[in-house]
Amino acid sequence: MSKYTLTLLIALLAPGLSWAATSPKLTIPSFAGLAQKASESVTITLDPAMLGMAARFLDSNDPQDAATKDVLKGLQGIYVRSYTFDRDSAYSQADIDAVRNQLSAPGWNRLVETRSRKSHADVDIYIMVDHDQAVGLAIIASEPRQFTIVNIVGAIDLDKLHKLEGQFGVPKLDIDSSKAAKPGQK
Amino acid sequence: MSNDIESRMRAALRPVAPREEFSQTLLARTLIETAARPKPRGFTAARLRPMAWWLTASLAASLVLAVGVHQHLEQQRLQQSGLEARREVLKALRVTSQKLNLAYEAVKSQSTSLDDEKSGV
Repeated sequence: MSKYTLTLLIALLAPGLSWAATSPKLTIPSFAGLAQKASESVTITLDPAMLGMAARFLDSNDPQDAATKDVLKGLQGIYVRSYTFDRDSAYSQADIDAVRNQLSAPGWNRLVETRSRKSHADVDIYIMVDHDQAVGLAIIASEPRQFTIVNIVGAIDLDKLHKLEGQFGVPKLDIDSSKAAKPGQK
Repeated sequence: MSNDIESRMRAALRPVAPREEFSQTLLARTLIETAARPKPRGFTAARLRPMAWWLTASLAASLVLAVGVHQHLEQQRLQQSGLEARREVLKALRVTSQKLNLAYEAVKSQSTSLDDEKSGV
């Protein structure tokens, strides 16, 4: 194979390879230094095995549990890191940039970007779509004394998320159910 | 005088053969005493048979009990893990919803401001 042919092949395949390399699961740093400074920290790591186990212990007769069970179907993981501090600006944006940079990779799309002067909260919501189906969700929320990273991996049914309104305080996102991606639909 | 004492001592200390029935009496008494004495406890085959059965039965029962306890403890552990996983899932969704709500409130307030601007307020 000539050098020219090889270069052409790499140039043609590179975008596909980079797309294939992007995983909906983010690499979240340990934030060990921040955890020590934080007055409260929440670290949740739920892999498929844990999600399966949790689903078995959700009561189908309870509306909240039943809705939760429905949302968990198809999910591969839920990862949450949240740190609360006693004073403002105890963390720097650089701490979060390690995660934010991953969301600029191909495959991730920023769904919502909000900057609130009232609450001084910045919230970015990213989604990864594959064949018209959401396969990854990432939320980065930074407030003066708290920052939170949420990463949900798997077949996220926006319709089911929409139905969680009123449970856990999930707000009405005004997601149009007819346009929401349904699993298996192209 | 000394001869008299000596002869009397010899006469008193002379060996006398036992009576015929002496040995029979002695033997009979020996047999009686032996029969009356309690027999020493030994590991005879007759004793071993019921002991072996009880030993086997108790070992089997202990094994069954140990397996049962282990399974019970394992089930308890699994249940605790499952309930803990459930709590974690609910907590994760609660945090997610709080942050979604933040975004929602921000979008809502922006929409309200835009509407106010459009209506000339």
